[in-house]
Amino acid sequence: MKYMIMLTGSQRDYDRLAGKETDSPAWTPEEIGALYEFMAKWNNDLVESGEFVEGRGLAAPVHTRRVSLKDGVPVVTDGPYAETQEVLAGYTIVECASFDRATEIAAQLAHTPHPAHATLATPWYVDVRPLDEGPGQFD
Amino acid sequence: MLDRDGEDLLRQLAPRVLGALVRRYGHFDTAEDAVQEALLAAARQWPADGVPDNPRSWLITVASRRLTDLLRAEQARRRREDTVAAWPVPEPAPPVATDDSLVLLFLCCHPSLSPASQIALTLRAVGGLSTAEVARAFLVPEDTMTRRITRAKKTIRDSGVPFRMPPPEQRADRLAAVLHVLYLIFNEGYVGTSGPSLQRVELSAEAIRLTRLLYRLLPDDTEVAGLLALMLLTDARRAARTAPDGTPVPMAEQDRRLWNHEQIAEGVVLVSAALPRGPAGPYQIQAAIAAVHDEAERAGDTDWRQIMLLYEVLLGLRDNPVVALNHAVAVAMVHGPRAGLDLLEPLGKDDRLTAGHRWHTARAHLLELAGEPDAAHAAYLAAAARTTSLPQQRYLHARAARLARK
Repeated sequence: MKYMIMLTGSQRDYDRLAGKETDSPAWTPEEIGALYEFMAKWNNDLVESGEFVEGRGLAAPVHTRRVSLKDGVPVVTDGPYAETQEVLAGYTIVECASFDRATEIAAQLAHTPHPAHATLATPWYVDVRPLDEGPGQFD
Repeated sequence: MLDRDGEDLLRQLAPRVLGALVRRYGHFDTAEDAVQEALLAAARQWPADGVPDNPRSWLITVASRRLTDLLRAEQARRRREDTVAAWPVPEPAPPVATDDSLVLLFLCCHPSLSPASQIALTLRAVGGLSTAEVARAFLVPEDTMTRRITRAKKTIRDSGVPFRMPPPEQRADRLAAVLHVLYLIFNEGYVGTSGPSLQRVELSAEAIRLTRLLYRLLPDDTEVAGLLALMLLTDARRAARTAPDGTPVPMAEQDRRLWNHEQIAEGVVLVSAALPRGPAGPYQIQAAIAAVHDEAERAGDTDWRQIMLLYEVLLGLRDNPVVALNHAVAVAMVHGPRAGLDLLEPLGKDDRLTAGHRWHTARAHLLELAGEPDAAHAAYLAAAARTTSLPQQRYLHARAARLARK
């Protein structure tokens, strides 16, 4: 079975990682280096174990375009999210033996290194969801 | 597991084995699958049984057998589907000793294929990479890459392109297409490596390996030499061009001791030998520019006048906004930031440039040099808003913050 591990973040989280001047201190290069090293190891361990399918990070929410309907006509809104709204920031698809194993993989992310000042607007979480792999067969 | 040398050997032999098979039996698409299976078999068996005395013949024999099996299965399937098989299944035969790597390169970079397909097929059929490796290198799912490669092979089969060198009147265009594909592979590896990255085939190294192969086959072509030199001279700066957190380090601030001086020497020799031999093409000129940068012991020693003149030549060859941008920066280094900014302003009307961060970044640097910190600050922030890359944003925000503090 395949599962998608979904990481979320807000525009404010992105701004801190981008070194933008905000109300809280920016991450230092060493702190960011440690984060990258941790994520790369997490990814590469999954490649090694054969459970990795694919994974990507998304650009900051501010780059989002939303297409919606207004009076039946599609209209585009740039950057539709509030500063602190948690939205999808990246995903990793794994193929593994069980939902529990996928959950265990996701739970490793709880140890992501971060500076003490890096507080989140909402408590940290990660979501794991099975992929719909079609109707299959009854027999 | 096969060791590094064994793997290099397999990768080197891959295009020659495939070339031998296609020359003998045709069926490029099926032969390509057969060679991949032979490479896998070698990777499994050689570590245990030892590398055979003649690895190339071993691979050709195994691949020929596999090709025969695949063609028989295909024929049986067609028979079941009630279509008459139009071709005889060949018997395995002794290998031939030609090197058709060049014909293969031309075939994989055929103009009927999209650039993405040309790249994928070249890496697999000429580079000997597996579909999984190519997929990982481009961060796409393996299924996607399988389909891309299958479709590319079908296009080649349906187009009926013969397995031989393109006719003389098409040679220049077809070679240009090959060089462009190699350049794209190099670039993908060069720009696509920052942030938390997966262990993946190093595409820049792979592009250099394939361009070396092409240079070995066409030693007299000055643009092939130029492209190889450009890759070596650019890749030589790899270790110095990013900080540990992935932030790009501008050339003026790079620790030049980290540059690969062996690669620089090799690139300089290549481009110096190519340039006097007739009208220089764009790859040679870009290589010459890279050489001028690489030969400066300190950033302050850079011969910007020479670089400016080379960009003028390049501008005469191709009217490209990025070249015009780099030219403006070189002019600023020779005649002062104001002269550069004057050239930059009209380029700001080109949406291809201003939608991304590059024009704004160059403008910010020149405004900073011109002693206009407020305007530079705003330009750095404008640049940061136009890139989706976090490391680039960190660099640009840091430059802006430095100005704000002053």
